[in-house]
Amino acid sequence: MKPSRVVIISYQVGFGDCFLLSFEYPNEQRHVLIDFGSTGLPDGVPKNQLELIANNIAERTKDQRLAVVATHRHKDHISGFATKKQRPSSGKTIADLKPELVLQPWTEDPKLAVDAKGPLPPGVSLSAHHVSSLAAMQQVAGAIFSEVKRVRYLSPSLRQELSFMGENNLANLDAVENLMTMSATREYAKAGDKTALEDLLPGIKIDILGPPSIEQSEKITKQRSRDQDEFWHLMANAASSLGPTKVQRVAPLFPDFTVDRTAGRFPIDARWIISQAKRLRADQMLRLVRILDNVLNNTSLILLFRCGSKSLLFPGDAQIENWSFALGQAAVREKLKKVDLYKVGHHGSLNATPKSLWDLFDRKSVEDNPDRLQTLMSTMAHKHGDEERRTEVPRQTLVQALDRQSALFTTQSLNEKELFHETSLDLS
Amino acid sequence: MRNVKGTRHSLRSSRQLSIIAQDPSVKVDDRIVRASIDVPAEELLPGPRGYRVVVVDYDATANALYQPASLSSGLEGEYTDPFQEAPDETLLSDPRFHAQNVYAIAMRILARFEFALGRRVQWGCEGHQLNILPHAFAEPNAFYSRDDRSLFFGYFESFPDKQDNTHTVFSCLSHDVIAHETTHAILDGLRSRYLEPSSPDQGAFHEGLADVVALLSIFALPDVVGAALDGMAGGALIDQALLERDTLANSVLFRLADEMGQEMSGVRGCALRHSIKLPPGKNYMDDPEYQEVHKRGELLVAAMLRSFLDIWISRLNRIGTIVDGQKDRSLVIEEGARAADHLMTMAIRAIDYCPPIDLSFSDYLSALLTVDREVVPDDRYGYRGALLANFKDFGIFPSKRAAADGTWLRCDDEMIYSRTHFDSMLRDNEEVFRFVWENRRTLKIGDIGYIEVQSVRPSVRIAPDGFVLRETIAEYVQVLTVTAGELRQDFNVDVPDGIRFWRPLRLLGGGTLIFDEYGQLKYQIANHLLKDRGDKKRQGDRLAYLWKQGLLDTKNDRAGNFSALHLARSGVQERAG
Repeated sequence: MKPSRVVIISYQVGFGDCFLLSFEYPNEQRHVLIDFGSTGLPDGVPKNQLELIANNIAERTKDQRLAVVATHRHKDHISGFATKKQRPSSGKTIADLKPELVLQPWTEDPKLAVDAKGPLPPGVSLSAHHVSSLAAMQQVAGAIFSEVKRVRYLSPSLRQELSFMGENNLANLDAVENLMTMSATREYAKAGDKTALEDLLPGIKIDILGPPSIEQSEKITKQRSRDQDEFWHLMANAASSLGPTKVQRVAPLFPDFTVDRTAGRFPIDARWIISQAKRLRADQMLRLVRILDNVLNNTSLILLFRCGSKSLLFPGDAQIENWSFALGQAAVREKLKKVDLYKVGHHGSLNATPKSLWDLFDRKSVEDNPDRLQTLMSTMAHKHGDEERRTEVPRQTLVQALDRQSALFTTQSLNEKELFHETSLDLS
Repeated sequence: MRNVKGTRHSLRSSRQLSIIAQDPSVKVDDRIVRASIDVPAEELLPGPRGYRVVVVDYDATANALYQPASLSSGLEGEYTDPFQEAPDETLLSDPRFHAQNVYAIAMRILARFEFALGRRVQWGCEGHQLNILPHAFAEPNAFYSRDDRSLFFGYFESFPDKQDNTHTVFSCLSHDVIAHETTHAILDGLRSRYLEPSSPDQGAFHEGLADVVALLSIFALPDVVGAALDGMAGGALIDQALLERDTLANSVLFRLADEMGQEMSGVRGCALRHSIKLPPGKNYMDDPEYQEVHKRGELLVAAMLRSFLDIWISRLNRIGTIVDGQKDRSLVIEEGARAADHLMTMAIRAIDYCPPIDLSFSDYLSALLTVDREVVPDDRYGYRGALLANFKDFGIFPSKRAAADGTWLRCDDEMIYSRTHFDSMLRDNEEVFRFVWENRRTLKIGDIGYIEVQSVRPSVRIAPDGFVLRETIAEYVQVLTVTAGELRQDFNVDVPDGIRFWRPLRLLGGGTLIFDEYGQLKYQIANHLLKDRGDKKRQGDRLAYLWKQGLLDTKNDRAGNFSALHLARSGVQERAG
């Protein structure tokens, strides 16, 4: 049995990802939902957009076979799976569809998770250390998010960037729990693993190209995973020296020794260095959230669907560090040359479409032709990164290249009433 | 001439202040080990704010300013030490002591550099005064920022112990962390180009030297050394068993930032505990794991510290036992102090004998050997032998441009001196540039690129015959900007394939010129721009390294650079670009 066609629905989730792949078999359709999350919707889009999307997914897949893929744990990829105490919720709607498989990266495996207040002792596996630092990183994001809400010295753009990144990296406990319980079969995969998704989709070969396990990573990454675990745990709890935040204030370290402000200002001779220290603190926070944001992005599953002569590539938000394991293998590079449809990594950030990957795609062309590479980008501008630093998402130079050399669809082109865009690919 | 106190005799030049000798976790008889150290005497504003160090206790995380420490004036009375008798709880809970602690340690390290070099030493940042923020933010981190003219020290909460208790760890109470960061600021003043991305050695040198200075400076504190050796606050004798090599190497004296280390073994601290125990005899220099600058810095520390241990032990062997295998405790400590002092002076002076750009460990070893030869021509104390053997154990050999004994080649070329003036050559960058320009052929600096004399400084020391010796150290730097294509075609340099031909690349060359007391060129210690095949290889290797690390063409955000480096010690790496 082999599907004749695949329809890909790109939902309007603003800054986030939500793709429904519907494979048309002779007598039925089978579906894979890849990610469902958002951190910020465009103006004019209904507030309950995620519920509308969940209902649409339900209509399309009701009583048909469905699998769910959550590429990684960022909010913009899983928030739609969250359940609320009051019904209805988008997460409940999806859970009610009873997906027969939930596929996630190995870093989500609850067997590796530990309820640790601090870093794990030596002797525990490096994978467990890595998972433990991921959890600590989310706590760091939380600490930074609350500091950003509390302090008043940040410029509006910096505050927006820090809040966005902080929030996107917070742990989504509801969504994580729902993903853990919505299906009887759960898979936690690393690069090179086989997946039961192939049983659901006969006639389709599915390669998992990432994320690499710690053992598959470079030697140096392996050795550092323990130290990183320590660092992130210390970082997560560093501010607890100050006590809890109350009414947007924290108690100082030495309450009996503070210098009073006159008219809200510190003494004149300290002002210059205070402003420098604030700037530096903001810089450090940004640095930290960027690092942890990248690390979490790099836990993304990279999936390559192959059917007959067609190949579809869904890399989540994987960035160069995740990609480098796959790109280091000649056999994988051969497969990547033939990609027909590419879900643009990480909403169009530059680092998520490594040049060495883009250069591989044989089907890119400036002229329109039936075999021309198709690219799908789910994104929203002015949420992530900064134009001045050339880190804005989507990155203009990448968008130009995508637009010139492929048939690009971006969710930014949907109007506020359009819920989705449909792309169809003949697989026969 | 009478001074302000109405006497013709000079004012006191130093005062004593209490510090926490290592960090709050190092205790004897359940009391934090402290030391009373000499710092230059000066009239301070509250802070303390002095002529080189200004402490401002601002906490960005809490947005709070803590009260400044006020240290007494020596003009209106005597210099006093407000925390001399204070209990441990006060030391931990009074931010004014923390301020005093960072002030005193930073001033002491600065004074140690000035003592070794015989001149005033500048910070790497603008101005004369370095700001120190002892509680800058809640973060397991501490760093030097050139742009902010500051050292920032973080604090954080420890991991819970067995009883589930935590406590606050202050990096501003760790002698080693303060000494380390202060050394960064001083080294940046001596060699500003060492913060630029170059070879892994150059980045590692900043870290390694900072650790070496932090560790060796402890040996000048006899009470601390004694307490670390036998855990006692005093005594006349010490058991020989405590002076075995392994026991010494395991002692707290060779562990950097013990408390920080226990809390964050990967971030700080453990580095040293680890480095003296790095098994020698492996080719670390080519090991991919040791390409990372922080890890690589440990090699320098291991080689230096093992050399020190060798010298100390050989000196100890000459001290006889008095009763039952016990030795004179104060002699043991004094021998350690002497060896550490000599090695520290060498380590600092050697910086003057290093090329101003693209420093390698081999260059530094040759500089160390040269400095020692100048002072002790016959190596009667075995320092050079110990250094050569221990550096070799970690795969570090003297520079290929050095003489057979590893010291720099002396300059014997005929130079044109008559167009410059002796007196101006002692202090004037313009005059030294004229000298460089007139002699560019003999100095083999070629005729391409832009040349700049960065500094002209005196170096004063006591010669082997007991007389004062004054030499002059000048640094020049050459900069050449060419495209990758030109570099490949015209200069035959191996540029990494990924770099597009149109991309402009900046190459550096440069040298240190050492003039003797007659103003004659004694040494030219240079990494030339593109003089020979060796230079071309160096430039190619540098480009390949920068390209691989993503450091090519990054904005020169130096403050950021340093804080990023310190995060990286934890293995937490930031992607450049």
